[in-house]
Amino acid sequence: MATRTTSVHPRRKSKEDKVILEHSLELCEKMLKDLEGGKRPKLTATKCALDNSIYNSKVGFLTPGSKRVSTELNVSSVKKMSRAVFMLEILLRNIETGNVNTKRELYYISKGEVKHNKLMKALDFGDQNESDSVVDFICEMLECYREEMNCFANDRGGQTYSQNLVVTERLPDGTEAVIDLSQLGTSPFQPKNRPQNLTLKAKGKIDFCLVVESEGTANTLVANGFVKRHNSIVVGAQGVPSNAVRGWVKRIQDQLRVPIYFFGDLDAYTMQNIFRTLKAGSAASLIRNSDFSAPDVRFLGVLPEDIKKYDLNDYPVNERDAQEIRALKKARDALANDPFFKDKKNKGLSEILHWLINNKRRCEQQAFYSVDPRDPQMAEKIIIEKITKGHYV
Amino acid sequence: MTKPRQITTSSTAEYFSKNLQQVGFSSPTKAVLTTVKEALDNALDACEDHHIAPDINILVEKVGNGSLKNTDRIRIRVEDNGPGIDAGDIAKVFGEYLASSKFGRGRCSRGQQGIGISAATTWAIQTTARGVSVTTKTKGQKKAVKCLVEVDIKNNKGIIRDKEAVDWERPSGTAVEFLIDGRIQLNGEAGLVNYLRGNVLVNPHMTISYTLPDNGTTKIERVTKDVPQIPEATEPHPHTMKLGEFISHARLFGKMKTSNWLKQGFSRLNDKILAEIWKGQKLARALLDKSTEALNEKDISGIYTAIQKAQLPPPSTQSVMSIGEEALSLSIQRLGDVDFFSVISRKPMICDFKPIQIEVAVARLKDRRGEDHDEPVQVLRFANRVPLQFDKAACAIVKAISTINWRAYGIKQPRDSLPQGPYIVAVSMVSPFIKFKNASKETIDASDELVEEIRRALMQAGQKLSRHINRESRVNDHETKIAHIEQFGPILIDGLVRLTKADESRRIKATEGLRKLLGRDALESEKAVKVAKEKSEAVDAKRHRIKMFREEDQAIESREAEKRAAADGLDEVDAIASESEDSDDSEGGVAVVTAKSKKKIATKQAGQIIKKPVKKAAKK
Repeated sequence: MATRTTSVHPRRKSKEDKVILEHSLELCEKMLKDLEGGKRPKLTATKCALDNSIYNSKVGFLTPGSKRVSTELNVSSVKKMSRAVFMLEILLRNIETGNVNTKRELYYISKGEVKHNKLMKALDFGDQNESDSVVDFICEMLECYREEMNCFANDRGGQTYSQNLVVTERLPDGTEAVIDLSQLGTSPFQPKNRPQNLTLKAKGKIDFCLVVESEGTANTLVANGFVKRHNSIVVGAQGVPSNAVRGWVKRIQDQLRVPIYFFGDLDAYTMQNIFRTLKAGSAASLIRNSDFSAPDVRFLGVLPEDIKKYDLNDYPVNERDAQEIRALKKARDALANDPFFKDKKNKGLSEILHWLINNKRRCEQQAFYSVDPRDPQMAEKIIIEKITKGHYV
Repeated sequence: MTKPRQITTSSTAEYFSKNLQQVGFSSPTKAVLTTVKEALDNALDACEDHHIAPDINILVEKVGNGSLKNTDRIRIRVEDNGPGIDAGDIAKVFGEYLASSKFGRGRCSRGQQGIGISAATTWAIQTTARGVSVTTKTKGQKKAVKCLVEVDIKNNKGIIRDKEAVDWERPSGTAVEFLIDGRIQLNGEAGLVNYLRGNVLVNPHMTISYTLPDNGTTKIERVTKDVPQIPEATEPHPHTMKLGEFISHARLFGKMKTSNWLKQGFSRLNDKILAEIWKGQKLARALLDKSTEALNEKDISGIYTAIQKAQLPPPSTQSVMSIGEEALSLSIQRLGDVDFFSVISRKPMICDFKPIQIEVAVARLKDRRGEDHDEPVQVLRFANRVPLQFDKAACAIVKAISTINWRAYGIKQPRDSLPQGPYIVAVSMVSPFIKFKNASKETIDASDELVEEIRRALMQAGQKLSRHINRESRVNDHETKIAHIEQFGPILIDGLVRLTKADESRRIKATEGLRKLLGRDALESEKAVKVAKEKSEAVDAKRHRIKMFREEDQAIESREAEKRAAADGLDEVDAIASESEDSDDSEGGVAVVTAKSKKKIATKQAGQIIKKPVKKAAKK
């Protein structure tokens, strides 16, 4: 492996960085020691799956049970393990120097390493899926977030608008940046994938935060003056919330202590994938749900009763669309196995799932615009009415 | 006013001469193949009829340009060592349509109607104005008869010309020589080579030597001396008849007691079974004693429905002939360098009212390994041991092959199509009545029942094959594992040593530790390979044993049957014996079923033996 490394920032290692470095070295030391003693090194990690998820309404998010998965060194796993050690070396070097990379870049970095060292040729990744799974494997073993390993995904979603919010970002070089969202004009503020570095402050009154499933609709609301008329924060989720959105909403909940409402489609996919992940995290990220879920988020709609109340245009689930059918099937599974939907506290949400399964109909968030087609503020009015009258779950 | 046209009758020969495409002469290429095919089919049928192991010589050569556009003048000569043809029959055989010794006899012969060879003669006359030259000699004749046969189209009669007596070194046999216009296609699915190889596969008892243009002479020796006994037709199975046929069958027997008509006119009906049917369907006992002439249509259709509803033993295995797993196994190895094969002979069964038997051979070729495996497998289709080469897509066999999930057996297969790889999939269907889609017998009609039966056979063969492939992949697996150890071990340790900044001594120690660990793994995987190998060998041995038991059982049964036939002809025992004979379906079930039925027979016989002396004693 190349010995020359360059750092982009003169930097101080954070507490988290030190923990990761120590933990990794301990792990390597133990593996080497086992090998010296002719013992099989064994890596164990928390099992991140629904059958190891526990939901306690007092905690508010999915937490891991006691099940562990382990990988023992043998002829079948020797390739995976040597690849993991190889990739770990690259990641630790990044932490040491403060470099960050995307998964795709890591794939090419590993390719480059192999190119310069013929002995490593056997480790060469055939495609990015292979290197991605090794990165994930390392994070599982070290029980850390990918972002903690300085590996960032493309920032997606989380575009935030507010007239009263000020964000302070701690930068890798130890300095700070202060962003007043009211000064950004029509541009949104976009949180990074590691929102732990952000501190939030309200410079005026903030009554609530609205998370909108569709980024476009969030943009429309703001363009029509939503944040000017209401003391609020509007966040566009852009589909299934990324780590950035999840961590960001959690930050809003914890640091500003304002009510948060989620406004999205009425369908099984939104309820089960988007909203559940935002509120209680996911089974795949059991170990980091504590930082990446906002249990106080309420489901504002579209609610089943809204269809009748506002005479919204809904339509039947397309039985030929494999994705929609899969979502319904998953919803059925969720009602039976997902501890979040099985919990009494979330009865209102599971009832919505029941309604979706039984009626096989869906209604989109944009249907609010059909209520009074000549009034561009109609959606806004309905949202505010629902919030003030408490029409949410 | 125009006069209405007169209705005329035309001769069969006239019809076929105008519609030769219906019987396989639709193009110059097909004409060559069909001519060879008709001559070879006749030769093989004749040999088998007289229990002669066939020795066939085939010559196909170009002798000049044809008179038709884009054709060559081609000489086709097919010579056999069969019984020869009586001089008086030559004209009928080669020059008359629908003159056949086989029509409607319900036997599994290749030829059925007596159309093919006369059509070949017609094609020869139409294209070269010369009939077929026939040389034939029957046993005991000093000289062979040589003549030219032509078809009298108007009267559907054969005409003999230039008849002469010639010397021929063969003790008996027939040689036919056609001079036709056509085009020779050697390779590809519809090629001559494929056709001849197909014949080689399903006729293990045949020695064949063929000379093709640009291909030299190929001689393939027989692998078995047993000439298949073409079974005589048995009485029809009642489930093979439709109501109309059933009624005319009754009328055919004339005045006779109904019970006797049913017992004599059908197979698988005896007193015991009739009694059961009558009881089960609540028919009047008196019906059985009525004369067949006294039965009205209502009576007959009542009897017909009752018999159709009843569970009967399947049709006799005797009317269907099979190649047999052993012969097929030997024969498939003549197709090329075969790496592995599996063969399955299904038990004869009734399908679409007719007795049929399906046999399947799946072979993997050695010499095509490592090549482009995206090519579909080579499919060989046979109906009554005649290779089928055209109109593949519509055939029951191809339909069955492509609806099977071959991926489950480790063979590549795109969705709903033929599997891929260096394999030969051969399916043979034998039946006294095959439902062809057309008169040229190129495609078997794909009824659901038939496709399902073929699928079952293929699935059995596939399972056998997958056992072998499984074993192979275990071996490959083992090899990759060993390679892994050598490749990744040192890299893993190097990485760990670098990260922990350990010294050289720790590296050496860890390397030793790793070698120990992975060596143990390698040993285990080697063991797994060995176990898999032993397992599949055990299965093979078991199959072999079961086969031996089966043969032993059959020998004992036939000996007992002979004894019984000699003593007296008790219907009931026959029924049980035939039951047992038909029930050898699955490998595992064979020993059990036959042992059981043997026991039954033994007890019955013991009963008879005891009864007889008692009767005698009473008389005394």
